[in-house]
Amino acid sequence: MKKLFTFLGLAAVMVLSLFLAVVTGDYGPWYFAWLVGTTMIVMIAAAGAVMFDKQDEELAKKGIRER
Amino acid sequence: MDMLINPTVVELSRAQFALTALYHFLFVPLTLGLSFILATMESVYVITGKPIYKEMTQFWGKLFGINFALGVATGLTMEFEFGTNWSMYSHFVGDIFGTPLAIEGLMAFFMESTFVGVMFFGWDRLSARAHLVVTYLVALGSNLSALWILIANGFMQDPRGGTFDPNTMRMQFSSFVDLIFNPDAQAKFVHTSIAGFVTGSMFVMAISAYYLLTNKRKDIALRSFRIATVFGAISTIGVITLGDALGYIDAHAQPTKLAAMEAIWTTDPHPVSAAWNLIAFPSRSEQKNYFEISIPYVLTPLLTHSEDTVIPGIIQLEQEAKPRIANGIKAMVALKAYNEDHGNTAALATFKKYENDMGYGFLAKEFAPDQDLAKVNASNLPSVLDKTAKATIPNVWVEFWSFRLMVAAGFFMLALFAFAAYYSLKNEIEKHPLLLKVALWSLPLPWVACEFGWITAENGRQPWTVYGWLPTFVSASSHSVGYMIFSLIGFTLLYSSFIAVELYLMFKYARLGPQEQHHHQPEPQTAGGGMAGQPAFAKPSLSPKH
Amino acid sequence: MDIYVALKVLWWLLLGVLLMGLAIMVGMDMGVGALLRFVGKTDGERREALNIVGPHWDGNQVWFILGGGAIFAAFPTLYATSFSVFYIVMILLLFSMIMRPVAFEYRSKVATERWRTSWDWVFLISGAVPMIIYGAAFGNILEGVGFHFGWDGQYYQTESFLSYLLNPFALLCGFLSLALALYQGAAMLMIRGTDPIYSRAKKIGSLSALVAMALFVLGGVLVSGMKGYVLTSGDPAMPANPVSGQVVSQVAGAWLHNYGAHPILWAVPLIALAAMLLGSLAMRAGKAILAWWLGAVAWIGTIATAGVSMFPFLMPSSDNPNQSITVWNGTGSEYNLIWMTIFALIFVPIIISYTTWCFHVMRGKVEPPAAQDDHAY
Repeated sequence: MKKLFTFLGLAAVMVLSLFLAVVTGDYGPWYFAWLVGTTMIVMIAAAGAVMFDKQDEELAKKGIRER
Repeated sequence: MDMLINPTVVELSRAQFALTALYHFLFVPLTLGLSFILATMESVYVITGKPIYKEMTQFWGKLFGINFALGVATGLTMEFEFGTNWSMYSHFVGDIFGTPLAIEGLMAFFMESTFVGVMFFGWDRLSARAHLVVTYLVALGSNLSALWILIANGFMQDPRGGTFDPNTMRMQFSSFVDLIFNPDAQAKFVHTSIAGFVTGSMFVMAISAYYLLTNKRKDIALRSFRIATVFGAISTIGVITLGDALGYIDAHAQPTKLAAMEAIWTTDPHPVSAAWNLIAFPSRSEQKNYFEISIPYVLTPLLTHSEDTVIPGIIQLEQEAKPRIANGIKAMVALKAYNEDHGNTAALATFKKYENDMGYGFLAKEFAPDQDLAKVNASNLPSVLDKTAKATIPNVWVEFWSFRLMVAAGFFMLALFAFAAYYSLKNEIEKHPLLLKVALWSLPLPWVACEFGWITAENGRQPWTVYGWLPTFVSASSHSVGYMIFSLIGFTLLYSSFIAVELYLMFKYARLGPQEQHHHQPEPQTAGGGMAGQPAFAKPSLSPKH
Repeated sequence: MDIYVALKVLWWLLLGVLLMGLAIMVGMDMGVGALLRFVGKTDGERREALNIVGPHWDGNQVWFILGGGAIFAAFPTLYATSFSVFYIVMILLLFSMIMRPVAFEYRSKVATERWRTSWDWVFLISGAVPMIIYGAAFGNILEGVGFHFGWDGQYYQTESFLSYLLNPFALLCGFLSLALALYQGAAMLMIRGTDPIYSRAKKIGSLSALVAMALFVLGGVLVSGMKGYVLTSGDPAMPANPVSGQVVSQVAGAWLHNYGAHPILWAVPLIALAAMLLGSLAMRAGKAILAWWLGAVAWIGTIATAGVSMFPFLMPSSDNPNQSITVWNGTGSEYNLIWMTIFALIFVPIIISYTTWCFHVMRGKVEPPAAQDDHAY
């Protein structure tokens, strides 16, 4: 049951995103760019932090430094 | 009976609006950007489960709060200043300009402000995921706020979605779609929002650089530095792209702003080889640049994204305005006659004929004898046309230089973020103390860029409050000079003491930095125990510390 | 009925809802701010009092901002004129209001006694002054305001700010508003506070409700003898232009005409009075939540009383009564009101649900926070 709700919730988010993408894509190209761009910036910056942790672990394995 | 408009009151009202808006805009960009950076940090916390990211979110969140309070406080002024100081403007466009402001309250500001309390105080009361959603809602809310404000501003820059109604003597809302998808509003929202991202990134990067230079909490500083540089590098590219798009849109919507921004006095009939002024000292009285360094073949492709569009110079734009002013005077005289007698269909017909130029007639009011357009006759018409035409051009010197300062700051930050991100991604940033120092000392730059960006946009819109329809001169409330001096002094005193207190706290908490690790207490997990958290401290005192 | 007329009336009602929401929610926070120095004697007690509204003051304040935006959009001429006519008073309101967010955020960030007591004074000013001005604005409007319009819609004012500031009837309304705010704040302090804040709030709050009652009755007597305004001709469907189109006369006692025409309306002021009386009793009996809701009803009754007395007037002009701003000539265009209605229908339920959720998350008694607690004011 919980899975079903999660599925329905995610599906709703998808439908909303699609709707937004279609509407803004047609009438407001720059709004569309903001939606996509902001999502991308947040995701890449978060990936940068995850990458830092990875680099940090490798350095720690080599015993070079500890943070 | 009309009373004369006192130009001093108009100038004081402009000064007060500029002061309060520029001041408000010191806090807004950081809110726009830092909120999404907080959301990014907290996302990493939720994804990886590493508590350090929670600590980072909370630490930067504290600085966010110090800034947020002043953003909210000074925003109150902005919401009411149209009514207190720009009554004619509010009456003239309230039907269309007020709507995005109201929607901003309904859709965005309520969301941002309601959730920000839970974001600050709800750490122990929500699951990590639920709190993350709250943080995202705060970020989304503050940026949606900017969206609706800039939709309203877009209407001032390029009025779309409204039509003038002679029966109500105001512009009335006629198309919601035209209003919200106004190209100027679109590009300006993205430009401003992303400029906020750059500001947030610079803030986090510079302060993290300070911790790295002073060996404070490197674990937090290095991670914050990484997130900020990546965030900032992409955002700066976005800001510059959108700035270019805005220039392109203005080339069509506001030729006078564009000509002033680039200090183009005479039209170059050969668009291919037209020269772009890198540096110029424009003189308004002589209508030329005393000194200029210019690069041929750059102007046309830079501004119009084409090779063959002629960009009109200021002198040509002034000449083109004259017939519109003459028609506008006819429109305004007819409009007055119609308003005094709604049965006067002849006057209505005359007005309809020249309706699209009415704003230029309104603009001529300042230069007509006794500010009365009915007194414009064949003998004084040429001088009224002349003065009004000159008034259609914004202050070129201010426009040219504020634009260049903004752009220079933007490109410098792009370079800085590029280097900083590169070395941070290589995990070698600590080996480059000079770069860290530059990053620290560049902290004020995004604010410089934002403030000059506002000046570029709003000085360039002059002499209009609504471009082509309502001149600034007639927009202000008819206060006495004494009233204006009272409020201006009050705002100056109040705002100066705010900024002093804000900077004091900001520096205090930034210098203090995140708590050292050994101080770090485990999070109390009291379910309904209130925000108190640590009951052991239930008897706090005011014992002076340090 | 004409759709445009229906929309005008709808937005008059919504304007009332906004003014009520603002009074209840912002008034509550301002009541807490004004009471801060009196319910809290030690720093810990004062921090407890602040943290009772701490998570919500910012959200509540949006009622004020939304009020400004909605009046701007739905009643552009009213927005343009009222804030300008009362200029100095409005500027004082703004000055005192913008100190409040700063006070909340900064007060507990430095731990010296001088710093904190200074901000406590700021809380007193930024709580009491705006509520007095809020009520005084109603008082001034009931008496008629000195303004008229030029042909192009520019307003001209003919009275000095002193006549609005030092007007006895307006001050009476201002103190009524302050008393209700203190009551509402006291109720909130009782809901989430512990002793000794609880018992101090109880004492002050139950007294405030009785003071409000007395001021309300006195105000009612003064209004019944006051020169009111009567719309003798004016088409409700007229284009929204206050410059011309209506004929208005001034008649003593005119603010009671609506009650004469519809005696059922007497229920409105009676509900306000009953809520104040019952509220005082409920508070004395320690029923804090009931007292809070009765305070809300008292506000609703009070603002509705002003509204139904003046209908259809929004801001009568003593200078040129024909140019009084009314519900018929002061609204936005039909197209605008339709869009505003759509947005209100979508977002008001959403706002109410997440505000409720936030109050639910942050529910419960508040203890004096720890000296080092970063998650508290």
